[in-house]
Amino acid sequence: MIDQIIQMTLNLDMPQMSVLEWIITLGKFAFVFIPLAFIVVMIFMERKGASLIQDRLGPNRSALPVFGGLRFFGFVHNFTDGIKLFTKETFIPTYAHKVWYVVAPGIGFLVAFLTPAVIPWFAPLTWWTGDHISQVSGMIIDSDTGILLMFALSSLSIYGTAMSAWASNSKYALLGGMRATAMMISYEVSMGLSLMGIFLLAGSFNLQHIVAWQEAHVWGIFVQPVAFFVFLTSMIAETGRAPFDVAESESEIVAGYHLEYSAMRFGLFYMGEYAHIVIASIIIATLFLGGYAIPFVSTDLLRAHVDIALALCLGGLGTMIGGFHLMVRRWKKVYATMGAKDAGTRNREYSFLQFTSGVASPVVLALAVAVFFLLNPMAATTVDGTPIFPAWVSIAAAAVQVVVLIAKAFLFCWIWIWVRWTLPRFRYDQVMSLGWKILLNLALVNLVVTAIIAKLVTGVR
Amino acid sequence: MRVLDRTGEKLDLLTVNIGPSHPATHGSLRIICGLEGETIKAAVAEIGYLHRGFEKMVERGTYQQVMPYTDRLNYCSAILNNIAFSKAVESMFEIQITERCKVLRVLMSEFTRIVDHLICVAAALADLGAQTAYFYYFVPREDAMIILEKLTGARLTNSFSRIGGLYRDTYEGFETDVLDFLKKTEESLSDVFKLVDRNRIFLDRTQGIGCITPELAISYGWTGPCLRATGVDRDLRKDQPYFDYQTYDFDTIVGTRGDTYDRLMVRLFEAKESISIVRQAIKRLKPGPINVSDPRVSQPQHEFAYHDMEALINRFKLVYEGVRVPQGEHYDALEAANGELGFFITSDGTGNPWRIKVRPPCLTQFAAFHNLVEGGMVSDAIACLSSINIIAGELDR
Repeated sequence: MIDQIIQMTLNLDMPQMSVLEWIITLGKFAFVFIPLAFIVVMIFMERKGASLIQDRLGPNRSALPVFGGLRFFGFVHNFTDGIKLFTKETFIPTYAHKVWYVVAPGIGFLVAFLTPAVIPWFAPLTWWTGDHISQVSGMIIDSDTGILLMFALSSLSIYGTAMSAWASNSKYALLGGMRATAMMISYEVSMGLSLMGIFLLAGSFNLQHIVAWQEAHVWGIFVQPVAFFVFLTSMIAETGRAPFDVAESESEIVAGYHLEYSAMRFGLFYMGEYAHIVIASIIIATLFLGGYAIPFVSTDLLRAHVDIALALCLGGLGTMIGGFHLMVRRWKKVYATMGAKDAGTRNREYSFLQFTSGVASPVVLALAVAVFFLLNPMAATTVDGTPIFPAWVSIAAAAVQVVVLIAKAFLFCWIWIWVRWTLPRFRYDQVMSLGWKILLNLALVNLVVTAIIAKLVTGVR
Repeated sequence: MRVLDRTGEKLDLLTVNIGPSHPATHGSLRIICGLEGETIKAAVAEIGYLHRGFEKMVERGTYQQVMPYTDRLNYCSAILNNIAFSKAVESMFEIQITERCKVLRVLMSEFTRIVDHLICVAAALADLGAQTAYFYYFVPREDAMIILEKLTGARLTNSFSRIGGLYRDTYEGFETDVLDFLKKTEESLSDVFKLVDRNRIFLDRTQGIGCITPELAISYGWTGPCLRATGVDRDLRKDQPYFDYQTYDFDTIVGTRGDTYDRLMVRLFEAKESISIVRQAIKRLKPGPINVSDPRVSQPQHEFAYHDMEALINRFKLVYEGVRVPQGEHYDALEAANGELGFFITSDGTGNPWRIKVRPPCLTQFAAFHNLVEGGMVSDAIACLSSINIIAGELDR
């Protein structure tokens, strides 16, 4: 069957793809797992961020049973949570609709795997193969529908919510499902409309083009501040997080639509929520913060100096590890003076972390220096004044761009956490009136103003 | 639940049980709501899920043995209940407690009032979704618990007051501990005030929600911060001063509209007033005896009891038969954190109470609950419930 597909592809007048192109095209599918990898960090960030805001320590008891208990400052807690959720009884209420009840949690989670497909993770790879230029897009699905496809996919997650609420046959769940459905549909309107301004400026729905436009001109947040605000608010509402967590407000309708779920079925909802946040953060970073682009550095410039970029990335990493080393050293001293009961065990863990980071930091820094001196990106050829580099340069630049995008996404992930632990919860009807009466109007006004200014500045389009 | 409209027509409503086990009920109580969409068309508040038979239990023992039961009434401010009960019994005896005891009782009353208000506002904010404010209040509250533990030996249900005096004198360094606590509390109060003061979400969630008119509130027998929030200036500390409250410099905080916002803000500012009262009380704290030397209520010291026959008998009688409260019926109340906490005591002249009726402040407030929430939304009901501070311990007794 795969032969047939390849045959069909070849028949469509596509240029012959080299082995490297095939590897990269297929390898790009690994990006769908990025939100999943993010979740682990995100849950840790949430717990520690909450404890930071609330003047408390946060989870720090779970430990790996090596070196007298490695706690990694509470990071191990995620995994013990996972083990708990996986080993708990998966309970189905008697009067629940069995099929829908079981299927529902998977939908939201599945969507988390689909949406990364339209995100440009790096600039299109171009390289000189010796006789022609090879090109691979930075998105998994390089479609001109782009962001619309993302909206369509992410809207699917509401089916999971509605189904779970209906199938679990509980009044609280029903109320939660009702709230969630109404809210998500309302906020999708202002969410889509708020982006029209930036589509207008970039002249495309394709996220790759939007990022390229931002790279060439200016970041979206500077030309579309209102849209940024509206979109961020709508996205927070869309993910159903505080202050918009009316759908699962634990003090009112207990847990809302996932009230009757336990074990890993609940875990899927929980992880789906975080995956949704990660996707939303990446989308906002892409649309308003220049995506993978580094400020004042174009992709061509990055490729021409990829050795410096890589060295800086590694240098930053090495410095961070070094900072971690110093931090652990100080904590070790503080802990020793506290007279805690487990001082011996903690001391062993801190010594282990201190040693590991003490070794890793110079190694990474040395690697950075080595990269700076040993790598030398030489343009293979020049087409229309643009230098075309060998394949490894493009791939290395792409790696740097992915790191940049993820760093920007982390910034927004933190905003999600920050907002959640700062603001009280809206009432359901207040959420609706905010969505329809304020955000929608702001988005519309923004669109009109943007259109007029764009027309005046750029002339007829 | 079947809900009929005024003409007897059956309304088609979704009935939802909020409670008895619900995250927002903070204990066990039940609100049966008839919902149309999200709007509460009809609500019935049901109590009795934490009924322990307090009033029957106490008849079995002596008057002294009532004391630990009173801790469990409003467990957020246990010492206030102790003081209320001992004050009621003392007024039947018509005895004057010592000066130091008076000041200490004022100090502990206001101290526990601060703790109670902290918990109420913290829980209300947590129910509104502001989890962080909850933790900001629980930091000083933990300090208060440590002070109470040092003072009484227990963290939550601490019996400190005794008939005719106190369990014991303060420990060394008590004043500094309390002053530290006051400072931290002031900080956290202003922190949280800054968080909610101009927070649009908080204001929208609380202002104009669960309003009650002063007339209706009085007709239901409301007292305390909830009544004051409606604009009625009624505070037993001012109106029927006890423990020399008239000599302390403090204001009663009065609201205007009687909504959820007013109730929470009255509590917040009352805590500030209480802080100033505690400061004044600490200044007045002079060394002296804490128990009255009245053989009817206070036990003789050990050195007398071991060497003097009459003292031994006195001690024995007081322990085994209890204090013999003069025959008669008597009602006495004080301003507890939640409102007027009264004890109606019927005594037949023996050491066991014939009947003790508690007038809990929560009960009257919860009786009017359906008036507050009908016509509002489910979220409003939750905001209301936490703002009237229902403590199931004193609601059901």
